[in-house]
Amino acid sequence: MIVRTRRLSISRVLLMTLFVLGAVISLFPFIWMLVGSTQNPNDVVRGSLRPGKEFLLNWEKINSTYNVLRFFFNSMKIALVTVALGIVVNSLAAFGFEKYRSKARDRVFGVLLLTLVVPQMAIVIPLFKQVAAMRMLNQHIAIILPSVMSVFIIFFLRQNFKMFPTEIMEAARVDGAAEGRIFFSIVIPSMKATFASASIYIFLAQWNSYLWPLMTILSDEVKTLPIAMSSVMRSYTIEYGGLMILVCISTFPILLLFLAMQRQFVQGLMGSIK
Amino acid sequence: MLIQNKYHRYLNRTGWLFIIPALLFYAVFMLYPIFSSLFLVTQKWKGLTREFVGLGNFVRMFHDMIFWKALGHNFLFMFIQIPLMVFLAMIIAVVLNQGIRRFRGVFRTIYFLPCVTSLVAYSVLFRILLQTNGLLNNLMINLRIIPESIAWLNDPFWAKMTIIIALTWRWTGYNMVFFLVGLQNIDGEIYEAAEVDGASKKRQFLSITLPLLVPVILFSLVTSTNGTMQLFDEPNILTNEGGPANATMTAALYIYRQAFVLNSDFGYASALSYVMVLIAGVLAFIQIKVLGDKKS
Repeated sequence: MIVRTRRLSISRVLLMTLFVLGAVISLFPFIWMLVGSTQNPNDVVRGSLRPGKEFLLNWEKINSTYNVLRFFFNSMKIALVTVALGIVVNSLAAFGFEKYRSKARDRVFGVLLLTLVVPQMAIVIPLFKQVAAMRMLNQHIAIILPSVMSVFIIFFLRQNFKMFPTEIMEAARVDGAAEGRIFFSIVIPSMKATFASASIYIFLAQWNSYLWPLMTILSDEVKTLPIAMSSVMRSYTIEYGGLMILVCISTFPILLLFLAMQRQFVQGLMGSIK
Repeated sequence: MLIQNKYHRYLNRTGWLFIIPALLFYAVFMLYPIFSSLFLVTQKWKGLTREFVGLGNFVRMFHDMIFWKALGHNFLFMFIQIPLMVFLAMIIAVVLNQGIRRFRGVFRTIYFLPCVTSLVAYSVLFRILLQTNGLLNNLMINLRIIPESIAWLNDPFWAKMTIIIALTWRWTGYNMVFFLVGLQNIDGEIYEAAEVDGASKKRQFLSITLPLLVPVILFSLVTSTNGTMQLFDEPNILTNEGGPANATMTAALYIYRQAFVLNSDFGYASALSYVMVLIAGVLAFIQIKVLGDKKS
């Protein structure tokens, strides 16, 4: 019996060690990007973990070629506008599909679901030609408008609207509320968690998007953080310290969002899993 | 009766009003591009001029060995990285749920963190980390794990490993959450009964946990498959445009390069993307079959 407990505790210690090691591997890049932003570029590559004193120097160097804050505000603006438009357009549609069911609309929904299969890469080639023809290239509108409507978000919201009792809507109608009012003053306030999850999903997708902005954005003033990072990575002499600052600026807002709203965040990332 | 009819028509109209904005966006940014690609594939671009080539782009595609090689890499990552990651995610979740329950919350949060980073940010980080004279090599040489530096980014084999390692770092915690949710839905009494019957932990895992997790495993495999088929950010940034010598080229990256970097040939790029749609369709069909069967 004693032997059994001891063996168990040894395996526990081993297990714990492995898990702590795993945690270190998971966390390491986050710590490293912070440390790296304060280091001399050579130290960043060589990989010392001792914090340096060159944060301001790195900041000035990267800012002499790029406008780092501009990248941040571009990313933030694009993501927030997409969230605002996306939530309105997609939630209205999801509500229409779910609470005003008709054969015709169900068929339309079926078509929408079908295109969920089409990979992004297949869409962006013809989409680029079209956005170019609409004279939207190299403007934020080219990134925002094509990502407003999302079949996935409509699907996600629709699943959640299923839980909203139709009786409440009928009661409100008896009281003389218009359909739009039912949606805006009854449904939205009572489903805040769902809307938070969907907003986080849209925000993340847009904040992180790379392929489409890479195609449509050319000049530095309109670049987003991911595009800026890849531009710096491609430059002839790479400013590693400044690059680490960009990586931090791109990562930590999301990290804080995650720590503040873990539940909705995970739900948003996981999408429709119930 | 007449009033009722009128009311139904009113509701029906409201229903359309609700979905019309979405349909407008859908028509402009989804349907129209899909239809216009039917025209694009028949063209060949040379600089600013183009000519009609009919099915020529598809013929050309069959002789394009780099494209098929790139597509092969997608499947390589799919068949090696995904099972590895899903297995790892499952083991972590099971241990967190039973072995070291006390710290479950902390570990869960920490393991989930990597998927908070943007694909570009973590690709950049890994690219710096894995330089030949970089941090990881220096660390491993100092710990005497390896005798000399590994050319993570410059050797065809190690470059593929780099992608696999990076993907595993980014996504294991994400998949772990699926398993934690799945494990919470398993009734604890089953284990108590098994304990009474004298089943060992290993036996309990194989006969109870594993079979009950099959739906989660499938779900995890399916969602990862879709991402891997569209792999773009990592090979473009982490291994520098699918390098070395196309060793990590993926289908999506190759299509992008055809249209935007090499020849600006949108016709050929469209033709190649049809192959991706086809594969995505077949995969979706298999996925629906597999997931659907499991539900019933």
